[in-house]
Amino acid sequence: MAAPAVKAVRRWSGLTLGLRSVVLRLPGVTQVRWSRYGPEYRDPQVDKEYYRKPLAELTEEEKYDRELRKTQHIKAAPAMKTSSVFEDPLISKFTNMMMKGGNKVLARSLMTQTLEALKRKQFEKYHAAPAEEQATIERNPYTIFHQALKNCEPVIGLVPILKGGHFYQVPVPLADRRRRFLAMKWMITECREKKHRRVLMPEKLSHELLQAFQNQGPVIKRKHDMHKMAEANRALAHYRWW
Amino acid sequence: TMLKGMTRLISRVHKLDPGRLLHTGTQAPQNLAAHLDDQVSSERRRAISRTSENDPVKTFNEACLMVRKPALELLHHLKNTNFAHPAVRYVLYGEKGTGKTLSLCHIIHFCAKQDWLVLHIPDAHLWVKNCRDLMQSTYNKQRFDQPLEASIWLKNFKTANERFLSQIKTQEKYVWNKRESTEQGSPLGEVVEQGMTRVRSATDAVGIVLKELKRQSSLGTFRLLVAVDGVNALWGKTTLKREDKSPIAPEELALIYNLRKVVRNDWNGGAIVLTLSQTGSLFKPRKAWLPQELLGKEGFDALDPFIPILVSNYNPKEFESCLQYYLENSWLQHEKAHTEEGKRELLFLSNSNPGQLERLCACL
Repeated sequence: MAAPAVKAVRRWSGLTLGLRSVVLRLPGVTQVRWSRYGPEYRDPQVDKEYYRKPLAELTEEEKYDRELRKTQHIKAAPAMKTSSVFEDPLISKFTNMMMKGGNKVLARSLMTQTLEALKRKQFEKYHAAPAEEQATIERNPYTIFHQALKNCEPVIGLVPILKGGHFYQVPVPLADRRRRFLAMKWMITECREKKHRRVLMPEKLSHELLQAFQNQGPVIKRKHDMHKMAEANRALAHYRWW
Repeated sequence: TMLKGMTRLISRVHKLDPGRLLHTGTQAPQNLAAHLDDQVSSERRRAISRTSENDPVKTFNEACLMVRKPALELLHHLKNTNFAHPAVRYVLYGEKGTGKTLSLCHIIHFCAKQDWLVLHIPDAHLWVKNCRDLMQSTYNKQRFDQPLEASIWLKNFKTANERFLSQIKTQEKYVWNKRESTEQGSPLGEVVEQGMTRVRSATDAVGIVLKELKRQSSLGTFRLLVAVDGVNALWGKTTLKREDKSPIAPEELALIYNLRKVVRNDWNGGAIVLTLSQTGSLFKPRKAWLPQELLGKEGFDALDPFIPILVSNYNPKEFESCLQYYLENSWLQHEKAHTEEGKRELLFLSNSNPGQLERLCACL
């Protein structure tokens, strides 16, 4: 741990490009997770369509953007980011959250099996249903997944705030990423802990996702409980200072 | 595994022969006649079922097969067989996931439609591993019985070949124990019933069925098709052990011993179609797919004059038609799967391997 600190000190004194300038985000909040890239580093462009556009079709801004990219620093693309058409950032995030001990192979296979299970269940329902209902049955596992997680996202959250020696649960608006995280976390914990241990994860997950898609089930119940607690603690809202 | 699904499917294929698969069945003779020589841009395709839960009949309300070159070749040979000559052995071989088992299913379906007696062993590897109850055989003290596997096979055999069971008569008297025996000239159905009710003698019942069928196929009343999947299990090693933990050789299992006798080409009046399989095999490297590697010296010598048929990956037309089938049944639900870009990506990721393509399309 000493070596990186020493390197950081040397960098500070040198004031070279790539230096992390101190960014104060919020009072009382210190940065614990930061990247080694400075603010001038740009995100890599993995979209194949961007590079396939012929030069004639580009607008002025896009031409300027391309020229700029040739001179600027660009971050390295992360290992799991592909230029595949079938890639979905939400699915990747969910897979990473399901992963245990770095076993991405297992997590990814569980994810694909869940999507397959979802598809098969919906196909069975589709074939069993009469013709009028067939149009209403959604068979795309990706839309079901996205809709289910959107249904599970809480609108308002609770934060423990220390006042007068006691911790009070104060209702607080949540950022988008916090809401998505909470929805995924609740889904995974619910499947891991509340179900029978002999039932396999894809089966449990597909069942829960289908229930959440229809706005039923334990995860939606947890979201409603969170909302009710927030409503009950309305009076404490003044403890929030941001 | 893929093969478990095949068993269930094949028994269902035979049961539902006149019923569900009408649209595939009636098209069969015309299709085969038309597409014998040219490249198969097939009209019948199938989603390969991987496990017994994932049944194509449940998901698509139908079960279809892709008509491919190796199967067509085999059917051509089968149509021109001379039943006076000894039975010819055809061995389907190829890399993992190229469609050997499904080609075998195609052949079985064809022969069942043509009213042959089909002797189908869905996976010979299941007989040499994970056997819970292994008993010493009553017929021959050196060999071992497997009542569970034998009774399952007898049940499937019965559902597949109902009409033959009353027609074929035994040519010998068989004594099961002090109280029960089957007279000479009684229908084969009785032997099968005996095997299914008295599970202890199921293996012997299987042996009797195989012996009788082999003997009587030469008479010409019916034609016999012997279809074995994973035939390299017959000559490999087993994972079963005796009570004193010494390993058992395949010859010492009564089922395997009798099966080896059927696969020999010393009878006439039918054909033998075999499939090699590395997926369930024991003590064979993962990359092995050639007949010499999988059968070993002993197996290769035993099967020696055989006709090898290579089953390879999809060619561009077959790949295109497989994707078309999936799109027609709306199995590929991802929006990008319909685009050219998506198809190119699937081609690259699967390398036109049918098994790999099926696994990829399952989650898309």
